[in-house]
Amino acid sequence: MNFRLRALGAASAIALALSFGPAHAGKNDDTLRAAMAEEILNLDYNYTTKREYIILAQLTDATLFTIDPVSQEVQPSIATAYDFVDDTTLDVTLREDVKFHDGSTLTAEDVAYSYNWIKSPESESNATGVVSRWLENAEVVAPNKVRFHLASVYPLVIRDMANRIMIRKAGTYDANGTINRDAMASDLIATGPYKVTSFEPGTELVLERFEDYFGDKPAIQKIIVRNIPDVGTQQAELMSGGVDWMFKVPLDLAESLGKTPMASHLSGADLRVGFIVLDAHGYTDPEGPLTDVRVRQAINHALNTEEMAKYLIGGSAEAIHTACHPAQFGCDQSVTAYPYDPEKAKALLAEAGFADGFPLELWAYRDKAAAEAVAADLTAVGIKVDLRYVKLESLNQARAARDIPAYFGTWGSGGTADTAAIARIHFSDSDRNMSGDADLEALVLSAEQTADQEKRKEIYSEALGKIADEAYWAPLFTYSANYLVSPDLDFPLDPDGLPRLQHASWK
Amino acid sequence: MLRYIALRGLLALLVAFTVSLAAFFLLNVATDPAQAIAGEDATPDVVEAIRARYGLDQPMPVRYAEWLGGVLQGDFGESYYWHKPVAELVVDRADETLTLAFSALAVTILIAIPLGALAALNPNSWIDRFALGVAVSAQAVPNFWLGLIMIILFGVMVPIFPVSGDDTWRHFVLPAFVLGASSVPAVMRLTRTGLIEVMGADYIRTARAKGFRGWPLLQRHALRNALLPVISVLAVQLGQKFGGSVITESIFAINGLGRLALESILGADIPTVQMLIFVFAIVFVAMNLLADILNAALDPRIRIG
Amino acid sequence: MTDTDMTLAAVDSGPEAEAEGLTPGQIFRQRLFGHTGFLIGAGLLLLIALIALLAPYIAPHDPFQQSLANRMLPPVWAEGGNPDYLLGTDQNGRDYLSRLIYGTRVSITIGVGAATIGMLIGVTLGVLAGYFGGWVDHAISFLLTAQLALPGLLLAMALVFIIGPSIWVVIGIVGVLHWTYYLVVTRAATQRIRSLDFVAAAAASGATPRQIIWHEILPNLASSIIVIFTFELGIAILAESSLSFLGVGIQPPTPSWGLMIAEGKQAMFYRPWLVVLPGICLFLLVIGANLMGDGLRDITSPEGRSK
Repeated sequence: MNFRLRALGAASAIALALSFGPAHAGKNDDTLRAAMAEEILNLDYNYTTKREYIILAQLTDATLFTIDPVSQEVQPSIATAYDFVDDTTLDVTLREDVKFHDGSTLTAEDVAYSYNWIKSPESESNATGVVSRWLENAEVVAPNKVRFHLASVYPLVIRDMANRIMIRKAGTYDANGTINRDAMASDLIATGPYKVTSFEPGTELVLERFEDYFGDKPAIQKIIVRNIPDVGTQQAELMSGGVDWMFKVPLDLAESLGKTPMASHLSGADLRVGFIVLDAHGYTDPEGPLTDVRVRQAINHALNTEEMAKYLIGGSAEAIHTACHPAQFGCDQSVTAYPYDPEKAKALLAEAGFADGFPLELWAYRDKAAAEAVAADLTAVGIKVDLRYVKLESLNQARAARDIPAYFGTWGSGGTADTAAIARIHFSDSDRNMSGDADLEALVLSAEQTADQEKRKEIYSEALGKIADEAYWAPLFTYSANYLVSPDLDFPLDPDGLPRLQHASWK
Repeated sequence: MLRYIALRGLLALLVAFTVSLAAFFLLNVATDPAQAIAGEDATPDVVEAIRARYGLDQPMPVRYAEWLGGVLQGDFGESYYWHKPVAELVVDRADETLTLAFSALAVTILIAIPLGALAALNPNSWIDRFALGVAVSAQAVPNFWLGLIMIILFGVMVPIFPVSGDDTWRHFVLPAFVLGASSVPAVMRLTRTGLIEVMGADYIRTARAKGFRGWPLLQRHALRNALLPVISVLAVQLGQKFGGSVITESIFAINGLGRLALESILGADIPTVQMLIFVFAIVFVAMNLLADILNAALDPRIRIG
Repeated sequence: MTDTDMTLAAVDSGPEAEAEGLTPGQIFRQRLFGHTGFLIGAGLLLLIALIALLAPYIAPHDPFQQSLANRMLPPVWAEGGNPDYLLGTDQNGRDYLSRLIYGTRVSITIGVGAATIGMLIGVTLGVLAGYFGGWVDHAISFLLTAQLALPGLLLAMALVFIIGPSIWVVIGIVGVLHWTYYLVVTRAATQRIRSLDFVAAAAASGATPRQIIWHEILPNLASSIIVIFTFELGIAILAESSLSFLGVGIQPPTPSWGLMIAEGKQAMFYRPWLVVLPGICLFLLVIGANLMGDGLRDITSPEGRSK
């Protein structure tokens, strides 16, 4: 950023003080300035995971398919069609007019290379695990056709293709036999609607509309992503016109600033859910109170999740009683619910022999206010909560060591509106699964062995019913995604909660 | 003298190594760098892939030995996050912190020395009391709070200076004031005490007898002598500024070493933490050493060695 | 930490003068009550200590009692204020005044605890180094240099982060990192006292080093130790608040002023009182400690610079 722009910022801040509207430069130079707190260090989504990178990958990359965020249906993208030759053989037909950012045309070799590279262990890609779950290998069978040999039946294969694997030119990562996993980290050559024009890791990323993009061209010509770690600073920049778009905005801030003419507050759905996981199996204490189902039910009854959702998360957030997001496929809402009832909670505790409560260590890593609210509700029914508010890494470390009796977790399902995306990791072979329920685990895994959607639905109903009856979790609420944007910006929100800057336009 | 400097330098290195060793093992035990890199919704296979990519699956002693071997050849390793050599990262960020530290020191000098001098010239007057009040208050204000109050005041109410970032000199005004304020009490008091002492000395009485009064007296005779000890304290204070940069840089979003330190501790970026411990330890020792040397050089009664 | 750079020179003047003998009680008391700074400081500390002691009787609400529907209420004098909550509520709808009142307990506990730990370490080392000299002195000087080479706040952060934050961990770590002033001052004073006639006399009459330290040296150090203790109290309180502010100190929902400032920071443009009020509390407590320390130092030093 330069001196002049800053001076402009200061000048407009003064204008603001005199209660004129802020000078939003964005619309005038057709440049959308987005703020992100997370430092952007690597542009290659094949080697990253965090949400910010998904947002960027939407801009710079294209995948074989896309999933329509509203209907959740598969839509063509680089691929025009797919065809299951048999259960484990998948043919994908490609468009012939897809251009890379360097001007070259995408070929079937590029697609096969990308998949085979990511599948190979030496790629050490963040997508390797996902892909090797189902891919045997990919081969070119025609100039515009790639055949995928699958290792097993896997119902979510098209979804993984749409979400996880970015297409690179053949030889990108191992040109001349030398492996370079950072080949695309900063000088990204991809096929998406925007191309990278400059990138300073951790500071600024400049994207420009790619005129040869094969799909619908975005409305805004230029997007600048600025790394601003502090939300307060982002806010100051938004007020002075240095930023047009910020996300993950804390509710209070979004509401307060949204009431002013300087910014609009947008609140959309988010697939993320919050929940309490309880050590039902007794990993931390084989005879512990949490091994008693009545205690776990009492905890469910003790939590005023409606109030938490309404006041602490806000927007479209809602209380939930299932171990999944109601918008996800297979998330059966007819399972047992435990409405807020502190008296009943106390009664259940007394019945279980804990009339005087018991001490409980509750771990949490985000949404401190909500974590404190949970602690306060539990304290109100007599459970003496010791809140351990730590960094996510510390929580995961302690959980892996089975040192955590209860934690406040959240899961965004990677934007996948399918119960599979939350059930597998939380109720199968993982230290997140503290139920110790082998039947449940088998059930959850069996859902992935069939491509029959009705069958999957049934299996998830059964699994979710079991989770609810046994009160393995205390589900809390869904999240909402809060944005603050320039009043000049039209930014449509999608029900899956993923912000798609490529769909933004000026009013 | 040289021997003394070498000894202190060696000591600093020894301390830095011990602390970095402890930090290495403790950070590894307490957090999981692979998880930190992977992020919130990472599945276990992703975390495993990252662990393999960064060699985090090696046993800890092996990794420490590797790191140490690199350091002995001047290579501090590569940051887990930034994908570049830590040394490069630290050098890149050092200028922001240097700018902040020196401008904070300038603020300290500009406030503390005139105030101390005025107080000393007029002992027990209102200005003396005022100076004492400033010193006592500055000492009691939490630094981070002062920073936030400045942001509230200047960010919204009187937007003269920008409240975040590090692009122009204007960005450094508020942070330098906040960081500089913390050293005002020490320097102010020392200036005052030093001056009062010097003013009582024989040669000043002589000068006074010759008709020197007020500012000329101060300027020609007293200030220079009184300020000698202040200078060595300023050296120590400069070292402290580096430590203080952690909070100030975070609040004002300055991309310097302090913020890097905070982020790398919270994010378990172990190679970066390791090198920063070295850098900070060496700066601290160097500044303390400088103070000692200045003391010795300025005061013939002290001999070190 | 925030202000470890206290006026070393200023602290020094007290103990150095100390060796010349105690001020007679009468003059002492006279000075005590004639010293405005001391009176203000002691008054503030006493008041805050009383508030901490009587917190359950003074606080209008339970500081942990949340009421989400009443969250983020402004103070009573602002628009939308509720007379039930004089200073408004925090992000979980807890009464801010009650949390500020209970916050005194956290600050005082940590201040006294950490300053005591620092005192035990610093005085022990200082007396040993000053009394025995030689290699003991060298070893302890090494420790001192090592400690001075450490970036205190960073180290405290890393340690609390690693060990896991709790009030006792914070006390321990802040204490362990704040002993150097005790050491510097007591070492110099011990060296001086040791060379005095009455110590030599005691040694000649067969007193062991232990007896000499306990009966001859420590009593003579008492007043300077108290002065440093008072200053360190303020420093430790500030250190705790910095750690809590950075999220590696006191854990929620315990009301710590530093933590409250951090929690209020997000909305500080719209609800500045969330940041301003706990800051003022911290300021008053620390300035109380510092004024009292200044006063005690003036009073116990022979020339008795009274203000």
